Amino acid sequence: MATTPRRLKRSGLTMPIVTPRFINNAWHRGCDFINMDLEDSVPPDLKDVARNLVRESIPVVNKGGADAVCRINHDLMEADLNAVIWPGLMQVNYPKAEYRHEIERIDAIITRLEAERGIRPGTVEIGANIETAVGVANAYEIVTASPRVREFGGAAGYDMSRDLGVEMFVGFDQFVYGKGEVELAARAAGREPHASPFMPNITGSVSDPDRAFAEADAARKCGFRIGGGLHPAVVEPQIRGFAASGDEISDALWVLQEYRKLAHSGETWVQVDVSSVDREESPRPMAADSYLGRHRVIDRYEAAKAEELLQWQALCRERDQEKAEAVDRVRAAETMESPS
Amino acid sequence: MSILVRRSNLIVPAVQSRMVSRSWMHHADAVTIDLQDGTPAAELAQVRKNLRQSVALAGKGGAQVFVRVNAEFVYADSDAVVGPGLTGIVLPGVESANQVEEAGAMLADLEKIHGVPRGSLEITPSIESAAGVWHVREIITASDRVKQIVIDEAALAASLGITQSSEHDAFVFARGRLCIEATAAGVQPIAVADPMGVQTGQLSHEGMAQIATDARNLGFKGMVCGHPSWIVPVNEAYTPAESLVDYYTQVREVFAQALAAGTAAAPFAGRMIDVPVDEWAKDVLAMSAACAARDEEKRTAFVAAEVALDPTVPLIG
Repeated sequence: MATTPRRLKRSGLTMPIVTPRFINNAWHRGCDFINMDLEDSVPPDLKDVARNLVRESIPVVNKGGADAVCRINHDLMEADLNAVIWPGLMQVNYPKAEYRHEIERIDAIITRLEAERGIRPGTVEIGANIETAVGVANAYEIVTASPRVREFGGAAGYDMSRDLGVEMFVGFDQFVYGKGEVELAARAAGREPHASPFMPNITGSVSDPDRAFAEADAARKCGFRIGGGLHPAVVEPQIRGFAASGDEISDALWVLQEYRKLAHSGETWVQVDVSSVDREESPRPMAADSYLGRHRVIDRYEAAKAEELLQWQALCRERDQEKAEAVDRVRAAETMESPS
Repeated sequence: MSILVRRSNLIVPAVQSRMVSRSWMHHADAVTIDLQDGTPAAELAQVRKNLRQSVALAGKGGAQVFVRVNAEFVYADSDAVVGPGLTGIVLPGVESANQVEEAGAMLADLEKIHGVPRGSLEITPSIESAAGVWHVREIITASDRVKQIVIDEAALAASLGITQSSEHDAFVFARGRLCIEATAAGVQPIAVADPMGVQTGQLSHEGMAQIATDARNLGFKGMVCGHPSWIVPVNEAYTPAESLVDYYTQVREVFAQALAAGTAAAPFAGRMIDVPVDEWAKDVLAMSAACAARDEEKRTAFVAAEVALDPTVPLIG
């Protein structure tokens, strides 16, 4: 199967495919992906109508550069897949994944549809969402069921709370074990974990930008890179939260500069008094009060983290540029169509 | 599917006949008569002789009755008690599926001997060691008789050399694993009230209610209570509060209106209501009804027992 480049998923909006104003406006929200929902936000009597809207909606939601993604129904998997796997769709989210054979079956169907519909083999990812205790218990079997499962997460949220019989928004992390299992399974299998550290949330608000920023910032610092939400107000704060700050970038460049010096010294680590560094210089380390003390240790671990941060920042910049160009193309085409 | 409502399980030492004879009075959903802790070896034979009577006493208020057997004397202890009125046994220190399978086969024999419906007696494994936590999936699924599984944190702490403290929670993993694996298998995970709060002595009503609510919000379905005063707050914590019932009644109305308007996603009180929220609302309302039915069942038994109570006969045995 062909390998495809890493797709960034810092921010995304999940929306009912049956609500045209959401779908039609999604492209200029600035998301990395748009998740067209056939599942929990679509009434049962509209499921047939809904799945037949996906093909025409793909070019509508992705014209601003966002990846088109579709959440199908667990119990209507085959009919949904048949209706949604069309060129332009990057990922299918399969809710309440519980067993390896479910993912293997989805993989086989997608493989057939890709071949039939002129899609490069291996393009469509499978998002295997863990939302039940059974799913947590079988996490490793699920994540390793198909190379299409490139990111993996869940074990929290409304479905999980219902399965465990616990309330949401209780002020402590009622999902800590399940999230840990799923993250561990993802990392052990070499897939990207889709998770976030616990932050108390007793309001359950889905539109709080400050909270969205804080969560994304904390997630990035805990090694997670994937976001998503339900309200347009959280898109920009998520993108910002998943980006390294100017100070962090300068710090990473400084760390690598110091590490290069170290490489020629014969030592494996060195301690630097950051309070003695000229604050006007660039690159420069984070201010001393960002760390627990004046001293920073420079070693290969610090260098590896700095390198990862700079690579991530380059990917983010590239992705933002890609989306900006797409939006410009749409605007230009609109201008052409309606010259004033 | 009927909901098993077993919120509180009062554990009383079998040897303490006064506690046993009063155990029905505290409104527990279940009572466990304990043969393991507190029964001197010399008195075990005598205690066994009284066991069937103890079961009848403990169940007078409508509680389901269990006996915690000695790990070393599973057969002799069970043989002394299997009969009408017994819901099941608590099997201590379970570390493997084999122990549960053996106990299941033994109960099948005893059911036959004592004229109890085949397969009716439950086994509640008690997890008390790292091996038990590690093998929990095999243990839970070893027998259909397993409806609940208990994590005995005091025993676990002792076996792991842990000094429990309210500042450091040593059992995040063990508890989480138990709740996930039990829920996955359709078995109810049960906590032990006292160690959850890591407090000694008598807790306030509010203190116990908070411990029980936190445990419920980790996925536990009930608690073993070492003191009668814990039962009422535990029952309350595992019964959906009136405010919650009101809230979810409104959620169901809002969702029904949204469906009628052609969407399954609707904002309500700053949150988003969609299918899983509505499903959870149904669960909460069903649980509320099941708790009310169980309480009514106990109330009826309790009133009958009180009427039958002869005030001239002291309860002290």
